[in-house]
Order: sequence, then structure tokens, then C-alpha cells
Amino acid sequence: MRCTLEDDPTVNTTVDLMVRLKVMDLVTQTAWITFTEKLGFAGTLRGMVHYWYWGMEAEGKDRETIIGEIDRVIRFDGAFTNQNKHRYRLCAGGAAHRGDLDLDKDYPVMDTQGSPPDLNGLVAFDCLVREKRPAREIGFTERLNSRLKGVAVSDLRYGEVWRLILKAPAGDAALEEVERMLVSRSRREGLLLNPHYQRYKIMTVRSFGDPWLPSPSARMEG
Amino acid sequence: MKNPFSGAVAIIQFPGVNCEYETASAVRSIGLMAEIFRWNEDPALLDECTGIILPGGFSYQDRIRAGVVAAKDRIMDKVSDLAEKGRPVLGICNGAQVLVESGLIPGIHWEKVDLALAPNVMSDREGYYCNWVHLRREKSHCLWTGRYLEGEVIPIPIAHAEGRFVTEDASVLREMKDNAQIALRYCDAAGTIVESFPVNPNGSVENIAGVSNRAGNVLAMMPHPERATWLRQVPEDLGDRWAKKRCDAIGRAERMEDEGPGRNFFAALRKGNGA
Repeated sequence: MRCTLEDDPTVNTTVDLMVRLKVMDLVTQTAWITFTEKLGFAGTLRGMVHYWYWGMEAEGKDRETIIGEIDRVIRFDGAFTNQNKHRYRLCAGGAAHRGDLDLDKDYPVMDTQGSPPDLNGLVAFDCLVREKRPAREIGFTERLNSRLKGVAVSDLRYGEVWRLILKAPAGDAALEEVERMLVSRSRREGLLLNPHYQRYKIMTVRSFGDPWLPSPSARMEG
Repeated sequence: MKNPFSGAVAIIQFPGVNCEYETASAVRSIGLMAEIFRWNEDPALLDECTGIILPGGFSYQDRIRAGVVAAKDRIMDKVSDLAEKGRPVLGICNGAQVLVESGLIPGIHWEKVDLALAPNVMSDREGYYCNWVHLRREKSHCLWTGRYLEGEVIPIPIAHAEGRFVTEDASVLREMKDNAQIALRYCDAAGTIVESFPVNPNGSVENIAGVSNRAGNVLAMMPHPERATWLRQVPEDLGDRWAKKRCDAIGRAERMEDEGPGRNFFAALRKGNGA
């Protein structure tokens, strides 16, 4: 059910929340090891980052009010972030943003040089993975709306984003390589999603500062 | 040096599993040898084992997706090889997730991932669910269910968050039915298939609780037979013949060690039994 605010003039905006661990990300470490030591991508995969993603449609007095209020709630509601172990970035309409996750300085896992790799010679993709039959969004929408004041959210969307940084030819060949890494089609192929209950979207990353947003090169499966 | 797995059932211990010792005890309860096999031991040691069980737990902490990291392990090359040659292989709960993610189940296209064990879908809750449920033994040539009668109702515990058998490929489901690979379904205490929660505790398509490969020597099942191997493990309030036996045994410690409803899954490994 869509929540609305009826008294005052309101604006609607799309809000994106990205969350990443600031402590050691063992899930991504495990994925890295599996890719490089078991699935034969040691020569291809150069870096990985893992985010949780929440998208939602929000209604409120203005964008600043919306993002400020959502920011207030998620900072104190452990359902979305835990400040002891997460960084986050909250964006409204691709413009206003809050949070301590600075994508420019968000280093990938296994970057042994201590600085983000130069994208020259590399290609990077953000792979959004979502369940085909989402369940948790319903409870989270109610939870969020019960805590927000003057702002209502609807159409909550949850997923995970895997940023894969590859040494690979650009264009379709690179996308095919990403799909081979992403989709578990057989015991020896694919790791990050099972196509029988999950779907995905691959987006080209132009720079490490890219906020997570669909790009023109995005394509959808499932 | 003698191969400790020679003539024994090998229980594969991936990092993070937690049911390997009780599974070994369940195998020993029927007079067979059982040994724990660490995932990074020499796979060749499994050549002389009599069967392989992938026990429940959280292999690799369920990182990425339950069972998927273990499915990519080197040891699964050997398990796949032996399974294809007809060696009995049973995956329980997390072990079932490993078998599905490795494509050994349903195995219609060997090692192709044709199924998923997706997060539970329940009417009034989400996530992990732990309870006793009932299974119906379906018409099948599965070795592991061969000691049960067709249509027999088996009370058994489940404990999982990702146990919903699902496939996007309708032809896979059809082939599983045509090949009699759906070995176990969730049912009520009378054996009736009811699609809704809690009889179907996770939203599995067609109430599927266990699927075998085409040959019947490999079974992936979400319930835990090792937790129903002794009468003492059966709750008194199940309301069926097993609960009555359990109640009758109160005060008689030796009777509590009698067989429980899940033991026949392991007894199928005895020579001369099974399908």
C-alpha cells in the first residue's frame, strides 16, 4: 500500500541507500578467493566491492526534508545500518546525499597497493542482485514508515551490489565475462546469484566516484 | 597406512557445518562405520568409502548464498565423480543446498544448476524456521528412502532459512516428476499434501522436501533425519504413533534408545536394503 501525506504540498523523489562494511568484509574475501583460486579468474578479476542496496520512493515537503528525515531514522534503526560496522550513502534524486560512505575513497577488496586501482586498462561493473520474490521489503516498509515523521516511503526495493573490477576487453566481451562470474549456471560457472530465484542487472562503472545509479549501458536479466 | 574411510561412510566436514558428529552417530546406530572427512583432505581417500553424507550446518558461514562456496570446492569434484558412478550420496539441509548448487541434484543435466533452495516463504513470518514436520515418502527409486513404504508418513525436524525448492525451468520440474525424482513431500500428519504454511514450511514448489538424482543414489533433503534417529528425540506432543511410542517409553531408559522415525534413511545403506 502506498503511503501519502495529505495536508501540505509535497514532492516525490527516489531515494537510494548504499551500505558497506567498514570492518573486514569476509563475504567479499570469500568470493574473491573462490573466483581466483577455484573458478579460474585469477588473471581477470582485479578488485571487488560489496554493497547492500535499498531503493525507495519517498514523499515529503522537499528533498532536504525527505533525506534528512530518512537519514535520522536509518542512523538509529539497526535494520538498515549499524554504525559500529557500516558506512552508508543516502542519495535523493541523484543529488542531495548524506552518510559517511565516500565512493571516491571506497577501496575495493584485494587492492594491495592501498589505493584504488586506476581504471585505465580495467573495466568495472556494478551488478545488482535481487530476489524474484522479495519478502523482506514489506516488513521494512512498515517499519520505516512507523518511524518517519512528515515523510512517507513506498515501493521499497532491496538488493546487493557487487562491484567487479576486471582486466578484460571492453564492450560485450567484458559483459559476457561478468555474466559468467555472476550467474551460477553450473558447478564450475558463476557464483554470485542463482537464476532460479534471483535476478540481476549489470551497469558499467565510469569512475570510482559513480554513485550507484542505472547507466545507459545497463541490461536486465530474469 | 590404512585408509580410515575404507568401508566407512564418509561425513564431509566443510568449515561451518555443525551436524557432522550427530550424523556419524546416526550412521553408527545401524552398525555401519562412519568417519568425518575434512574438506581439505586428499579426495582420493574417498575412493574406498561406502557412501558419502554432506551434513547440515552453515558451510562457509552461508557466505554469498547457502551451499554455493562449498559447491565450488575441490572435494566436490570427487563427490561428483563417485556419485555419477553410483556411490550413495546424501545431502542433509546445508548438504542439500551444496548438492543443488553443485548441480548433482536434480542431475538431469549433470552439474548444471537446475534448482535453487531459496529463502523460506511463510505466511506470517520470514527467515529461519525450526519445527517438526511430516514427510510423505513418494513413489521413487531413491536408494535413501527405500526402507520406507510408499505413502508412509515420517515425522522429522526441519531447521532452515533457505529451504524452498524452486526452479525457473518448467521442463525440469516435469522431468523430475516423470523420473520419479521427487522422493519426499511435506504433508500433514495424515499424509495429505497441503500447500500452505505450516504443513509446507517454506513454500517449496509442489511441497518438495527431498529430491533424488535420476539414478536414485543421490538425495538432497532439507529435514534432519539424524535428529530423529532415536525415540528419545521424538516430541511427546506430535500426536502420532511415534509420539505414543515415546510416551510409552517414559521411565524406561532402554526404550528411549529404540529407533526413531528418521533412522531408516541411514539403514538404507545396509547391504541388501534400499531400492
